[in-house]
Amino acid sequence: MHFTRLACRAMPVLCLLFSFLFSQAQNQTVTGKVFNDADRKPIPGVTVTVKGTKTATVTNEDGSFTLRGLDPGAVLQFTSVGFQSIEVAASRADMVSMKSSESIMSELVVVGYTSQKKRDITGAVSVVDVEQMNKQPAPTVTDKLQGQVSGVTITTSGSPGEPPRFRIRGFNSLTGSNDPLFVVDGVPTTSITDINPNDIATMQILKDAGAASIYGSRASNGVVILTTRRGKGKTRISYDGFYGTQQPKINNPYHMLSPIDQANLKWMALKNTADLAGIPVAYSDALYGSGSSPVLPDYILPVGKMEGDPAVNPSLYYVNPNYTDQADYAKFYRITKANKAGTDWMSEIFNPAPIQSHNISASGGSEQGSYLFSMNYFNQQGVLSNTYNKRYTLRSNSQYNFNKNIRIGENLAYSIIDNPRITILDEGNAVSMAYRQQPIIPVYDIMGNYAGTFGPTGLGQATNPVAARQRTANNKGLGNRLFGNVFGEVDFLKHFTFRTSFGGEYFSFRGNWFDYPTYENQENGSTNAYNENSGSGFNWTWTNTVTYTQSFGEHNIKLLAGTEAYNERGNMLQVKNTDYFSFDPDYTSMITGAGNPTVNTDGTDKWSASLYSLIARLDYNFAGKYLIGATIRRDGSSKFAPANKYGVFPAFSAAWRLSDEQFLKGLSWLNDLKLRGSWGIMGNQLGLAANNQFTTFASGRSSSFYDVNGTSNSLILGFQQGRYGNPNAKWEAQKSSNIGFDATLWNRALEISADYYVKSVSDMLYPVTLPGTAGAADVPYVNVAKMRTAGLDLSLGSHFDVNKDLGFDITATVTTFKNKIQYIADGNTYFEDQGRRFNSGGIIRNMVGESMSSFYGYKIVGFWNSQAEIDAANEVARKATNNPDAVYQTDAAVGRFRYDDKGAGIVTADSRQILGSPNPDFAYGLNLGGQWKDLDFSFTFYGVSGAQVWNQVRWWTDFYPSFAGGKSQTALYDSWRPDHMNAKAPIQENAGSFSTNGAPNSYYVENGSYLRLRNMQIGYSFNGEWTKKLGISRFRAYVQGVNLFTITKYSGMDPEIGGGDANSFGVDEGAYPVVKQFLLGINLSF
Amino acid sequence: MKKTKYLITCSVLLAVSITLDSCSKSFLEKPLLGALTEPVLANEKGVTAILIGAYAALDGQNVGGGTWESSPTNWIYGSVAAGDAHKGSDAGDQPPINLIATGQSNPSNGFFNAKWRANYEGINRCNNVLIVAEQATDISAETKTTLIAEARFLRGHYYFDLKKMFNMVPWIDETTTDMKTPNNVDIWPNIEADFKFAYENLGGTAPAVGRVNKWAAGAYLAKTLVYQKKFSDAIPVFTDVINNGTNSKGDKYGLPDRFEDNFDPAQKNNKETVFAVQMVANAGTGDISSGNAGEMLNFPYGDSPFGCCGFYQPTFDLVDSYRTDANGLPYLDTYNSEVVKSDQGIESDAAFTPYTGALDPRLDWTAGRRGIPYKDWGNHPGKKWIRDQNFSGPYAPKKNVYWQATQDTYSDRISWAPGSAINIHIIRFADVLLLAAEAEAQAGSLTTAMDYVNRVRERAGKKESAVYTYVDNSAPLKGFTTTPAANYNVKTYPTGSPVFASKESALKAIYFERKLELAMEGHRYFDLARWGIAATEINKFYAFEKQFTSDILQGNFTSGRNEYFPIPQAQVDLSTKNGEITLTQNPGYQ
Repeated sequence: MHFTRLACRAMPVLCLLFSFLFSQAQNQTVTGKVFNDADRKPIPGVTVTVKGTKTATVTNEDGSFTLRGLDPGAVLQFTSVGFQSIEVAASRADMVSMKSSESIMSELVVVGYTSQKKRDITGAVSVVDVEQMNKQPAPTVTDKLQGQVSGVTITTSGSPGEPPRFRIRGFNSLTGSNDPLFVVDGVPTTSITDINPNDIATMQILKDAGAASIYGSRASNGVVILTTRRGKGKTRISYDGFYGTQQPKINNPYHMLSPIDQANLKWMALKNTADLAGIPVAYSDALYGSGSSPVLPDYILPVGKMEGDPAVNPSLYYVNPNYTDQADYAKFYRITKANKAGTDWMSEIFNPAPIQSHNISASGGSEQGSYLFSMNYFNQQGVLSNTYNKRYTLRSNSQYNFNKNIRIGENLAYSIIDNPRITILDEGNAVSMAYRQQPIIPVYDIMGNYAGTFGPTGLGQATNPVAARQRTANNKGLGNRLFGNVFGEVDFLKHFTFRTSFGGEYFSFRGNWFDYPTYENQENGSTNAYNENSGSGFNWTWTNTVTYTQSFGEHNIKLLAGTEAYNERGNMLQVKNTDYFSFDPDYTSMITGAGNPTVNTDGTDKWSASLYSLIARLDYNFAGKYLIGATIRRDGSSKFAPANKYGVFPAFSAAWRLSDEQFLKGLSWLNDLKLRGSWGIMGNQLGLAANNQFTTFASGRSSSFYDVNGTSNSLILGFQQGRYGNPNAKWEAQKSSNIGFDATLWNRALEISADYYVKSVSDMLYPVTLPGTAGAADVPYVNVAKMRTAGLDLSLGSHFDVNKDLGFDITATVTTFKNKIQYIADGNTYFEDQGRRFNSGGIIRNMVGESMSSFYGYKIVGFWNSQAEIDAANEVARKATNNPDAVYQTDAAVGRFRYDDKGAGIVTADSRQILGSPNPDFAYGLNLGGQWKDLDFSFTFYGVSGAQVWNQVRWWTDFYPSFAGGKSQTALYDSWRPDHMNAKAPIQENAGSFSTNGAPNSYYVENGSYLRLRNMQIGYSFNGEWTKKLGISRFRAYVQGVNLFTITKYSGMDPEIGGGDANSFGVDEGAYPVVKQFLLGINLSF
Repeated sequence: MKKTKYLITCSVLLAVSITLDSCSKSFLEKPLLGALTEPVLANEKGVTAILIGAYAALDGQNVGGGTWESSPTNWIYGSVAAGDAHKGSDAGDQPPINLIATGQSNPSNGFFNAKWRANYEGINRCNNVLIVAEQATDISAETKTTLIAEARFLRGHYYFDLKKMFNMVPWIDETTTDMKTPNNVDIWPNIEADFKFAYENLGGTAPAVGRVNKWAAGAYLAKTLVYQKKFSDAIPVFTDVINNGTNSKGDKYGLPDRFEDNFDPAQKNNKETVFAVQMVANAGTGDISSGNAGEMLNFPYGDSPFGCCGFYQPTFDLVDSYRTDANGLPYLDTYNSEVVKSDQGIESDAAFTPYTGALDPRLDWTAGRRGIPYKDWGNHPGKKWIRDQNFSGPYAPKKNVYWQATQDTYSDRISWAPGSAINIHIIRFADVLLLAAEAEAQAGSLTTAMDYVNRVRERAGKKESAVYTYVDNSAPLKGFTTTPAANYNVKTYPTGSPVFASKESALKAIYFERKLELAMEGHRYFDLARWGIAATEINKFYAFEKQFTSDILQGNFTSGRNEYFPIPQAQVDLSTKNGEITLTQNPGYQ
């Protein structure tokens, strides 16, 4: 036995082995101890009954009990007044924790630098139900939280490994980061994508200043506190795993035309254009001939040839896909058959793909300490070829209790991630190319090389998406991170605890990819290049705190003071070489290329920053009825100039437990009612460049070097102004007020938590756009902008048992907020983003008086159905402007859009208006869980209402002149015609115009509301004799369906558009869609 | 005992924390990474490097503008807007250019903002040379003057470019502290002063071939005077430059026999070079931003060897201008009375015989047309290299296209469209001669004017300046025959030519010669505007060209408005100071 304990300390793996052996040799006498889960104190007087028998005993003063003569696999029932009854297998009853019947309200919750009983929390804190959360098979913790917590909006993407957009209570920064701060086991970090969700024990979200302000300058976007699991009681080995398949939407989800309909559309556009110009139509096309109806050719290369033509003789064919010089390329003779049936490009690049996760953990604990060891393998293959997310994580948490007063421990996780992704939101990605590539083009030419838009065929300039994906197959990339901390705690002088924690992360990454020359596309790159990048960095946080806890009668005080130092440093490098003799991935390296290795400016950088803070916190309550919290933090940051280095962030919160007052005591249906209020200041420095305070000169090979010697091939060093410095930048101040209440009614048949908040950011750091006269140097962040966000967080829960065998758990969350930009800077009343193909500013405008990322452009009020309508409008315009040449709207013509003039009588740039916003009116989640005997089930619904999506896909597919790519059925069948004026799309013409596809307008703005069945899970727990015989304490199997249906009016693939920045999101130009998943999983514990 | 131990431990740790706090001052000092501050550069080497940076802004790339939006060639604003060329490509590509090409420029068109920003970044770099040079103590007076004079030359250039585009622009110099300066002062005198300073303080031979000298400054000064119609002030400067001027290497100004030398990167910085932007290929930047990225769209499309993108197609009007009469002279008024036969609407595999009428050979160095050698890339195959003939005609640009034989050296294929090491002429000697001719004609010296024009025409007529057929059409790299590729006939104006008998007629000939010689080089719009004939000429162009292509159907040049482009709306908005806008919009754009 002694040896076992020693082994456990030394080697967790050995420990597993021994524990397993010993559990097999269990005798039939059980000795155990019962603890209060909240404070780990023993509970005397607990009745322990052997289930199904009359055998029973009662725990003594130190909580211990002994029962003899038990059957193997017996189950013990523990009951006690004031505690929730539980059942535990006799084999695992050595250390039993019981939860207070006030249960969840009495749980200890980790908040800023300390822990509190949930019932004593005064700030707005959401405690996540980790078990419920983990029912989502998503790879990262942040994905899983969607719909689980009020006040948090999460937008995911189908792209494996793409971090979701995670917002706590909306926006706090115009241009900087809006991502929350994560604190894992006390160590602050900006990313938790590599944390194994199975390792998480608790998760709290600090939403208001009262709760979060103690994290000072990094708290403005809210704080997510996680603790990882630790061992408890006897050795326990668990396996949790699932395997499943993911089903993409295929079969022409964009409703593209067939090859012959593409040709018909061209004929239609030619005719319409000629009609508008009043000239006879002349049909002519290299592919389709010049008849009154188009004819599909047998070959697209050589252009328009028919079978039997000498030009399509395969002996003429020559393509060397790995060509290295232009002369070779010039000799190419391509022969490509037309795919008259049509290529469904989406089906070519999207395929069902597996997803799996396997997690093994071993844990245990005793008075001497505890340990946990876990391993996770997660592998999500993307439904889009050659995208995937593979993750390997190892964790080792341990704690050693030297004696009653000294504890030391560590939490350490190592992760390796292999995660190639595509850019998800631009016109050049694989999804976009799948709708842009015409269906008449086959995937391969007659010899199996790629086919494409190449040639004088008018097939547009899309690229072959299959080729593009396949060319990434040999690309490699790995990232890894060591994250964790070591800590020590000392209790002294009865009421004091000193804690020191040193933690942080070391990370590195490395990748290589090859740019192949292309030959199948209209616009081919002829260079071959090998790229390699790598980087590494570290940061550490050293936290020292002293806590004083004392109770005098009804007065309970907890006082904490401490310091925290943070330092970070890192660098990265990206290089490229060209001209490879062979493209064999085993051959290519940075030195085997014949070109000049060049450094990529964007991928090369170094950085360094530090923070130093003083922290204090007071929690006081009187009789658990009147509660007060106060925190203050003083942060210093290296990013500010000496005079403005420090910022002070105070916060106050208070709560009143009404339900403990005499006048409410009599209400039997009211179990708990607490009113809360808080006010405080949080800061932000995340978006701030480390060099913000300095005016600098910098050099850039592409921007400031010059061939002053006229060599044609070399450059001489030059300097340019790199940045305008702002030594006056200081901490921005986010003032946040919160008022809310928590109520528990009818013995938890209803739990309500509601919060209303207002956040005002003033002195917001904003990189003020300088007038062009100042040059192009980087602009400094200046404390100028103002923003206000107000919102309501609501969560409702219901837990009730219908009878002994049937119980339900229901929680619903509602999140709603309104955000308004109040001021940007003098002369900066707005800033734009996302020019896309309009090239006139941006379709997204962040402007004063509106919310972030609003859509902006001309509002369509209908079509011009006749020339008379246009003439009448022009007449009005002439009167309005007093200009006899004025026209109402540039390029107005019959069948085109008529824009709203906002009453001005003429359409000008001023007629543009806010057309919508991707911010929902509200988002909601509904979790339904239940248990019937050994069967359990859960459903998670998630929805957003009142959000819009800018569907930029329509620009490509619904307008004939928007490049000669694939077009939609809308363009051919539902565009304006004299005999079809009640159309969706405007008249199809040969050329674009301001009044059709040339200007951003409301045609692209769609309702993006949806309701999705995020998750459905049905599980069965095996509780037979055989499980007991095998020493199994838990064996559950489940089937699960994810994203089974989505109710939406959105016409694109999916209304949930992940990615984008805080000030520019919600634009769909071929987003990687969220996919359906079907999974089988088991949970097994010994 | 135990208690004491804890107390000691805790005290030590607290002491550590407190020490850390007192150290926090230095802990929170992080150095500037990856950049320098002004004092480090306040020396000869540093100031020279800042000056190199000021030159580096000439290419318009990575200086706050766009790629083609701020191209130093002004191909969009100077040539497409003036009828030299169509935008090209197809209707949906780069739609803001459609509006510029049809006279419908509006202030929110992002192209103008890009152009504005790129020039002011150039100005900022020049001002920084002047500021830091004053702080440096190790520079000799002479070197310092040279550095300052070059910086002022470059600043003059950037302002000249702004002035001709936008007319009223704010003047920012090394003393300016308020960047929200109003545009209520005519800055011609400031530009003139900068060039004058450079003209008076620079030497004839520059420290490096890519740097400017006295004569470039003289030429630019004279050009500045011509733009202000100060013809008599310009004449002596022109005369000095023409008679005594040399390029930066010290070679006396002249016209090489081969017109194409101006566009052949192997012949860069020759005796015709007055002021050129130096371009490179494969110089280790990993992109083409130092190699004509501003022109990257302007190559034949389809199955051409260039890949992208079919922009910048010469117009029918321009091609017709190269028709010559029996005397080898241009048709100044009636050049469009006959349309040079083209392959518009004819598939590449259908037969086609090129135009047989007499032509100025400069045409075939300026516009690629079916059946004529496209440098050494083979005969232009017509429609299959064109993206959309109906939209923008059958012709291809040529001056910006590199040669196949030397493509490994002078082309850069690292990007999705080609870059090249072809220098961009801001001023070449032929330009100087024609401007001088204009000044002389305005002053009544018609003979001198004709001499200058004839020097330009004489070179055009040299056998080196003609285009010849290939030895082997299927192997263009084998070289050229001595058979001209078309019916070329270009001659000088004969002594006593009636064309140079009157000022009006002489000016017409000089203006037309500028069109022919400098076509597709970004000058015409600004020439037409300063001549006061932009509305007439450009509307005439729209009316004529409409018969062939659909891109300029909406074309309309509004007199009193379109002579200048609008002040970018973004800049007007950004000029707000205490709620008041300081920049005034140009007439017609309010």
